[in-house]
Amino acid sequence: MAEEIRADIVASVGEVVTEVGTSVATGDTLVILESMKMEIPVLTETEGTVTRLVVNKGDVVQEGDLIAVVE
Amino acid sequence: MTVLTAQPHVGPGDSGQDHRAPVVRLGQLLDLNSIRPLNPAEDTESWSAGGVRIVRGRINGNEVIAYCTDGSRMGGALGAAEADLIIEAIDAAVRHDCPVIGLWHSGGAKLADGVESMDGVGRMFAAMTRASGRVPQISVVLGPAAGAAAYGPALTDLVIMCEAGRLFVTGPDVVRTVTGEQIDMEGLGGTDAHGRRSGVAHVTVGSEAEAYQHARRVVDLLARPGAFDPAAVGTGRNPRELLPDSPKRAYDVRPLVRELVDGDENGGGFEEIQARWAPNMVVGFGRLAGRSIGVLANNPLRKGGCLDSLSAEKAARFVRLCDAFGVPLLVVVDVPGYLPGVGQEWGGVVRRGAKLLHAFAESVVPRVTLVTRKSYGGAYIAMNSRSLGATKVYAWPGAEVAVMGAEAAVNVLHRKALAAAADHERDALRQRLIEEHERQSGGVGRALAMGVVDEVIDPAHTRQRLAEAFASAPANRGRHGNIPL
Repeated sequence: MAEEIRADIVASVGEVVTEVGTSVATGDTLVILESMKMEIPVLTETEGTVTRLVVNKGDVVQEGDLIAVVE
Repeated sequence: MTVLTAQPHVGPGDSGQDHRAPVVRLGQLLDLNSIRPLNPAEDTESWSAGGVRIVRGRINGNEVIAYCTDGSRMGGALGAAEADLIIEAIDAAVRHDCPVIGLWHSGGAKLADGVESMDGVGRMFAAMTRASGRVPQISVVLGPAAGAAAYGPALTDLVIMCEAGRLFVTGPDVVRTVTGEQIDMEGLGGTDAHGRRSGVAHVTVGSEAEAYQHARRVVDLLARPGAFDPAAVGTGRNPRELLPDSPKRAYDVRPLVRELVDGDENGGGFEEIQARWAPNMVVGFGRLAGRSIGVLANNPLRKGGCLDSLSAEKAARFVRLCDAFGVPLLVVVDVPGYLPGVGQEWGGVVRRGAKLLHAFAESVVPRVTLVTRKSYGGAYIAMNSRSLGATKVYAWPGAEVAVMGAEAAVNVLHRKALAAAADHERDALRQRLIEEHERQSGGVGRALAMGVVDEVIDPAHTRQRLAEAFASAPANRGRHGNIPL
């Protein structure tokens, strides 16, 4: 089943750690967001393969914006 | 955990009984052979009458009262007679000063009974409200619980849902007719809807058996509080090792909370509630040095650990729940502030944040704060500060208590100087001002001098120091209900 990973806070994308096609385990870091003077890792909640990655370093994401899809 | 596992004396499949029958479900909830009719004069004949069964029983030896709607008859519909039985159970729990647990599988008020059933469930709601804050009320939702049967659980202290549980005011058919929205029962009112979106359910699990286990565990924590025994904290790992090296890096606070509370043996471990709703605030029960406590912790992994309107409301209700039942509070603070935004302001962050201030300021249980990294601004005050009446406020070395972080403070305090500086000098000036600001007002120095932080403690001795602080504080209990904030 596909898991959509969305931003839970308005933030800028500080770092993209993964890439499309990567196999990930539960709790792996996909990207690191920067907000409230903090670096907040965005983690997977399921294992699978990253099939979509829609943010780039420096992008600004709003709460609820799609970051990646893991299937 | 074996001691907490209910031993079903009548399991599904045994003697061909319907698994929805109250006798089966109550048997799985309560200690083996502990069930007795609530009214000893009742014979087994009258037991089988009505769509609700009310009993006395035990959970880990603690006396409890339980009721169960009969999902095997007329969908567990509630008429006036059924409502009266539930009222009898709740009133008896108040008289006996013991927890009352409701097992729910009910389509709501009995249509055929008309206004009588509406009056009955209304009186049931009133009984639940009268008992609120006096005895713990726990609801386990095992099947559909619609309309009146949804508001019943919602008025109680804790709602535990298994995956077959459904809670809604109006079902999918009515929703479709009125709004045109297409959704099934699970999507509308299943565990994901109430565990993640609405916050109605405190615990969501898969099977019925797991739901009973959680109910038993919560009852154990509330009905058998124990006493603080600082000699019993033992030596664990240094909890500060669970923090990342960089102070800017977010992390999951839950492993830290599990390290601070007692381990799984003897009924320890951390029972998180509302885990998936407003997850930037972690709340739940555990034991510290043998005594059950409530824990609140900012979770930096979610929204940086910011307070926002939902997390403040979640925390406020939990504080009042614990206060009402005399459960001491441990508050683990690592908070960058309140989350800014139009959505937050329009969503009532002022109104909902005020609930948290009110809840802490009102509470009379021992409540100890531990600042692990930082505590800024309005969120500092709200997270059980000394000014709101904290019993003790401890900080780990390197922690910071301030109106805001140094960089943000410099940008505000020196806005004009920074704007006037030449472009190529601005960053260097800002850096110099930040370092100066950190020297003057960084850390917890001023907070210690004022007495709003009591002490910087050695992280390796955190459990010991917390247990001592709790043990030396007088036990107390708030005198108020637990309105579902």
